[in-house]
Formats: sequence, structure tokens, C-alpha cells
Amino acid sequence: MSTDTTSPDFKSVITPPPADSLILEARGVSFFYGTHQALFGVDMPVRKNAITALIGPSGCGKSTLLRIFNRIYDLYPGQHAEGEILLDGENILAPRVDVTALRARVGMVFQKPTPFPMSIYDNVAYGVRLHQSKSKSEMDELVETSLRRAALWDEVKDKLHKSGLGLSGGQQQRLCVARGIAVNPEILLLDEPASALDPVSTAKLEDTLEELKRDYTIVIVTHNLQQAARLSDYTGFMFLGKMIEFGPTEELFVKPKVDKTGDYIGGRFG
Amino acid sequence: MSARLIRRKLASQIFMVVCGIATLIALTALVLILYTLVTRGIGGLNLEIFTQDTPAPGSPGGLRNTIVGSVMMCGVAMIVALVVGVLSGTWLAEIGGDTPYGHAVRFLNDVLLSAPSILVGLFVYQMLVEPFHGYSGWAGAVALAILATPIVTRTTEDILNLQPNALREAGMALGGSQFITIRKVIWKAAGTGLLTGGLLGFARISGETAPLLFTSLGNNFLDLDMSHRMGALPIAMYNFALSPYDDWNKLAWVAALLVALAVLAVNILGRWLARDKSGH
Repeated sequence: MSTDTTSPDFKSVITPPPADSLILEARGVSFFYGTHQALFGVDMPVRKNAITALIGPSGCGKSTLLRIFNRIYDLYPGQHAEGEILLDGENILAPRVDVTALRARVGMVFQKPTPFPMSIYDNVAYGVRLHQSKSKSEMDELVETSLRRAALWDEVKDKLHKSGLGLSGGQQQRLCVARGIAVNPEILLLDEPASALDPVSTAKLEDTLEELKRDYTIVIVTHNLQQAARLSDYTGFMFLGKMIEFGPTEELFVKPKVDKTGDYIGGRFG
Repeated sequence: MSARLIRRKLASQIFMVVCGIATLIALTALVLILYTLVTRGIGGLNLEIFTQDTPAPGSPGGLRNTIVGSVMMCGVAMIVALVVGVLSGTWLAEIGGDTPYGHAVRFLNDVLLSAPSILVGLFVYQMLVEPFHGYSGWAGAVALAILATPIVTRTTEDILNLQPNALREAGMALGGSQFITIRKVIWKAAGTGLLTGGLLGFARISGETAPLLFTSLGNNFLDLDMSHRMGALPIAMYNFALSPYDDWNKLAWVAALLVALAVLAVNILGRWLARDKSGH
């Protein structure tokens, strides 16, 4: 099928997961940085306990879309989103939504590692302490579990009370993952989490995500097509603020339905 | 070597030499000041300085009343300056800095930053000394606080603006409110810088004489009640240095040395605390 993706009549080609397996669904989402429109009526279904990847050239709006899912854009006056994003059937873009509670359900890991200037232990405990009070032993256990799940425990168990800033980049990023899952979110958003990491650290991080998808739903933005192909169950290809094509990763990579998708994956642009 | 490369190398060399000379001039001045201060002041430094009060000319005595006065007034001033300065600097950097009110606050703060200290002294004289018919340590502390606060505000705003947005987003992404994120993450990340602001403020007020002459006036006797006149090291320096008595001149040098040492000690303490906090 050949369609002009830049025409206003262009319709996204979406092969959704089974309807009853969805946890999050974006419907006709548009986004504005002030007067500049960055997303144009984007649809995207997210399957529970799966990894969904977003790919596309720089500036296509994939990070923007991700940042709507936990409403982190709320920090910046002048940015606003339109449309609907349903999380378990509830529209999180509605004005009365408690964003603090939302962010506890939808965690996020950023492009650059952002450990807090405190000990490794306190980094992991930080988010938990915001939402619940736990005894020392419960917290110790939770910190250990979270670090184990993020595949960092063995490397840091002897220096839990040393600063998180002293870790390597890859370790810091896995610390951020541990910190994110410690609050037990339903969804974990990752915005190019491996772009600042070396290949060995990247591989470790990917193994971690693979493990995590049994318990969490993961949405990952990546520039790295191989990473999307290796890691994800579903992939969305975005271009110029539109969702061009969305479907099971294998189908999208092997037999893309839109020419544009094939061109991007084949390295003919971007 | 091409002519262009030679020219570039030459320009680089000249620049380095000029920078070197400038550094040398600055350092020479500093070393000369410190040298004079230490050689003239160290001889008079003894136990009596800390145990006795201002003497009559010709009799033995010390600086106890002025040291205590300086510590109390600077202490109160720094508490006020840190609380007001850190909070207002945080507001400017994190919350309202881009609003018209924020711009006005920043502008006025900058004006206050460069206001002559004698004007601040006069202002406090009009507000707190004249209406209450008396000079007091409180008035002195207020004048010093007004001088230190804009420095702390400015440094706080600058330091917080240096903190990466990613850190704010990360704090909020875990479901923390803006206030909690500022308090637990941003302030912590900026700790050393905030401390530097406090140190700069302290260094500024520790040697201020003019505003104190209008407010606390000075006191030749030890008095711990801040609602009375209060002695201070810079006032002692001013009075003693201008006096015709040799032993008073000597005390002025000791007072100057003590102020310099206090700034040095607070700096070292601050850096040590900051290093301990960062965990490296």
C-alpha cells in the first residue's frame, strides 16, 4: 500500500493487539509546544505485559508522545495535549486527574541517567517514601528486590550507602530503573535509555527490560532499530508528528504496510 | 608552518601572557594585604584579646566585647539572610521567575545587591533606630541581613538554574510534588552552591562598618542584650585605626586579622561540610 504520509487525509495503519489485552490507549492525541503543533491526532494501543517500541527519525514526536503518558509535560506552562489517553479505561488527560497518583502508576526513565544526589539505597527508597511508610526491614527488602530486578544488586550490595553519583553510566541507568520499579508502577516509560550507554551496558539494560516485562508494561523510545527489533513485541513508527504504522514488531520490520515505514527501516532516510 | 598558523600561535601566546600578568597583579595585591595584616596583627594576638574588653588608651585590654557583638549580629543576620535568600532565590528559579512580578523581584534584588552599604545603614537608622530612640544590636543585625540577603538570593537562583531539568523531571516522574522535589532533590543537588552563597554573604557583611555606625554604634563594654548598643570588630577597627594611640592602632590590626581569619575559617568549614555531603 502506498500513501502520501504528509497529506492531511493520511490514516495511520494500525494492527492493534487484542482489545482485551490493552492497558493504555492513545486516541487522537495532538500536542502543542506553545503554538507549535508537534503531534497530529496520534493513535497508539499499548499491550499489557509487553514491550512496545517507538521508532522514527529525530523530531518525529516519539519522545513527546511518551512524555504525555505520565503528563510530565505539565511542568512546562504553554505545553498542552488534546485527545484522549485511556489508562485502564480512564482518560488521564482529563483536567481533574491527580498527576501525582498517575506518575506513581506510570514510571519513567530518562535518556541521561538521573541519579539523585544521595546514596544508592536512598535513591531506590525515595519514590517509595513519597507514597507509603514502610518499616526499616520492609524497605531493606524492597530496595534489594528492586535492585535485583534491575540486575544491579550484585554490583552495589556492598556500597548501598555510597552516593549513587559514583556509579558508572550504565549502573546509574539501571539504578534509575530500580528506582522506577520500586514504586511498583503498572507501566514503565523509557526515553532512549541506552543512548548514553556503551554496548555492554546496553545489553545488560536490555536483559533487564526483558525480565521486567513479565510484571510490567514497558514503552520504550529508541533511535536504535536493532534494539526495537530485538526487544519489543509491538512497534510504532512515527514521522513528522504522526503515527505512520503500528503493529507487531515482526510484521512491521519484515512486511511493513506503508512504504514510508519500509524506507525508514531499510535506511533509505532518517 | 603557514603564516596563519604562526599568527594563531602568536595570538595564543600573547593571550596567555596577558592572562598570566593579570593573575599575578591580583595575587600580588592579595598577598601584600595578607602579609601586612599578619605581620602587623599577629604580634598583638594573645589571650587577653579574647578575655578583656575595650581598654582605655594606655591600659591593657582586648576585643572580647566586639568579637561577641560581631558573632551575634552576623549570626542573626545570616540566619535571616539564609532563610529569606534561599527561599526567594528558589522562588525565582523554580516557580515565579518568569512572571512580571518575578522580573520585578529580580531587578530590585540586583539593585539591592549593589546598593552602597551606608545607605542601608541610613535606612535602618530611620526605620529602627530613630523611632525607638536608641542604637541596638538588633538594628545592626537587620542592616547586615539586608546586605547579605540579595547575595544569597542571587547565588541561590543562579545555582538552581544550573541544575539539569532532567533531575526535576525525574523527581516529579516518581510522583513527588514540586515542593518535595525541590526540597529533597534540587536543594540537595545544589547544596555546595547554596553554601557558597551563604559564605559570600557572610564574607560581605563580616567587614561592614558603615551600616553598623548608624545602627549598633559600638559599645566599649560587653553586653549580650541585643536591644542595647553593641560593639563589633569592624567598628573597633574603624575607631582604633583613626585614634592617635599606639596600643589602639595595634588592636585595630588584630581586629582586622581576626575578621580575615573568621572568613577563612568559615570558608574552610563550608568546603569541608560540602565535600562530606557529596559523598565522594
